[in-house]
Amino acid sequence: MIELLAPAGNLERLKIAYLYGADACYIGGYNYSLRANAINFSDKELKEACLFAHNLNKKLYVTVNIVLHNSDLNGLKEYLIELENIGVDAVIVSDIAVIKCIKDNNIDLEVHLSTQSSTLNYEAALFYKELGVKRIVLARESSREDIKCIKDKTGLDLECFIQGAMCTSISGKCVLSNVTTNRDSNRGGCAQICRWTFKIDDKEEIFSMTPKDLNMSIYLKDMMDIGVNSFKVEGRMRSVYYIATVISEYRKLFDKIKSNTLTEADILYSNDIINRCANRESVPQFYDKFPTHEEQYYLGREEVSNQDFLGIVLKNCEDNKILVEQRNYFKIGDVVEIFGPNMEPITYTINKIYNEDFESVDVARHPRMLTYLEVDRIIPEGAMVRLKVFDKNSYL
Amino acid sequence: MKKNKTLLLVNSKSIVDKLKEESSITFLFPVKGFCVGFENLYDISEISIDSYIFVNRILDNAGIEKFREFIKNIPNNIKGIVFDDIGVLNVLIKENIPITKILFLNHMNCNYESINAYLEYVDSAVISPDITIDEIKEILAYATKPVVLYTFGHMNIMYSRRTLLTNYNKHFNSDVGKLAALEEEMQKTKFKIIENEHGSVIYTNEPFNGLVLRKEDNVLFNLINGVFLSDEEIINIINSENNLENLYPYKYLSEKKTIFKLKGEE
Repeated sequence: MIELLAPAGNLERLKIAYLYGADACYIGGYNYSLRANAINFSDKELKEACLFAHNLNKKLYVTVNIVLHNSDLNGLKEYLIELENIGVDAVIVSDIAVIKCIKDNNIDLEVHLSTQSSTLNYEAALFYKELGVKRIVLARESSREDIKCIKDKTGLDLECFIQGAMCTSISGKCVLSNVTTNRDSNRGGCAQICRWTFKIDDKEEIFSMTPKDLNMSIYLKDMMDIGVNSFKVEGRMRSVYYIATVISEYRKLFDKIKSNTLTEADILYSNDIINRCANRESVPQFYDKFPTHEEQYYLGREEVSNQDFLGIVLKNCEDNKILVEQRNYFKIGDVVEIFGPNMEPITYTINKIYNEDFESVDVARHPRMLTYLEVDRIIPEGAMVRLKVFDKNSYL
Repeated sequence: MKKNKTLLLVNSKSIVDKLKEESSITFLFPVKGFCVGFENLYDISEISIDSYIFVNRILDNAGIEKFREFIKNIPNNIKGIVFDDIGVLNVLIKENIPITKILFLNHMNCNYESINAYLEYVDSAVISPDITIDEIKEILAYATKPVVLYTFGHMNIMYSRRTLLTNYNKHFNSDVGKLAALEEEMQKTKFKIIENEHGSVIYTNEPFNGLVLRKEDNVLFNLINGVFLSDEEIINIINSENNLENLYPYKYLSEKKTIFKLKGEE
């Protein structure tokens, strides 16, 4: 089983993730989830998410991955039973109290061990396998050899991160946020102190420990060959545009690997699209080497924001028009790309824009303004319009 | 005043000579090859008295095999082990190593259910020091075996597998040593950072004073971390009848509950 696993911070992002090619999504409820400040899912939304996923024959995992304090134990059993009743496909946990609660109460939930448990060797994996864990989300510090060895010696399902932000710390081994801001990193409140800057000794150059983002696109095939089952994208706080872009690019890479048609040009092009969308450079980290200064940033947040995401297609209309909800300023003459579920991106020069009243306008300048654009084909709902920056032909 | 036994995580070996006659003290040596975050690490051959060993690295597969060989040949004077990696626990169980096993899953084990779940596999466990005194007391009330309380010392608050100081030096062609002082630029909070070939550890700049925990029941040891402390300071801390709050006022996370939700949700 090979699975592309997407993050989703709310219902809108979840639906986008599935539509753009995710095989499974991981989400958090209002409690017990490590992204306490994502919008997250109410019980009602969890049910809707589960139904949506299962109708598409896809999977849904729920994070119950905080490090619990005594008071968090109250209501845990009831919450897990609720997740069982909803029919989620697995829970992602880090605290043995959650595993024990599931086991002691015969709650029918598959358990995946969170990356917060820092699993880096097969003996640790075997310990958790004895406890009934079905899948391990390996530490992001795992090398190729570590992953292969753990697979060979345990036979467990393995989940590995392939894209997104990295903690400087081994996940779960950091309370910098607690100490500096009183925000509890292991209960979802991380203030990302590792992305701040520091004075070190009496040196003039500032100290920074921020890793570049992870990007495993060049090793996907190799990871499949050594037995990785689930390929995980980080980012439950990320936008719909990020989710759509990253998932669609990885979906394409996966499909090309499957059909044995993947080229270096495909990877380079996808990487450029992903990096620009993330506003950060992304590289492999521990998989192929021990990371050095080359895999870190040294000038604080080296993030360059852009306004590439121009709008989202709400529906196809008569007369070859699409209704687009504006997300960033665009105007007549802009060269854009429309990309969406199950379609190759198309390049398109905006020659006419109509407002909600079908009046011709030169620009779409108002946030979330409803506009109509003329197109020459059916465009799926949920497709997105972005500024065209990269030309695939130049990679060939 | 009632005092529990002390488990002293050794920084400088000189402290051992000064305190070895004290029957209430058990020495805990960070061992070479299996630890991060220490100025001094010890080869097992250097440890001649009855002691415990400390293993706090998160080990990869090669590391866990090295550990297996190491622990199978452990000398008789090593009476116990304090460790962080669950793989180490599995090796200790499989190899049936007859020493006291204490799990110190740093930053985890913040509730009594977790502590009790792990106590089924080990002789004792360190309660996370990242919680409040009240939370610790509640765990003590429910713990099924005597546990270990982190009672004094600089706190390991971040463990990275990256060699952050080496990387800084390479990037800036600089000459920072293996131990450095950090000060974050927004709130001016100070830290210490220490590195070896297995990774980097950030410590609090001040030692946590949890001496108030010396009088609790259901405690196997009160753990004192000697890192960055002088022998004189350690002796003073161990021998003191009061809690030395004037000298060491830093209470770490023990007095104020941490927060994790910024918005009002459900």
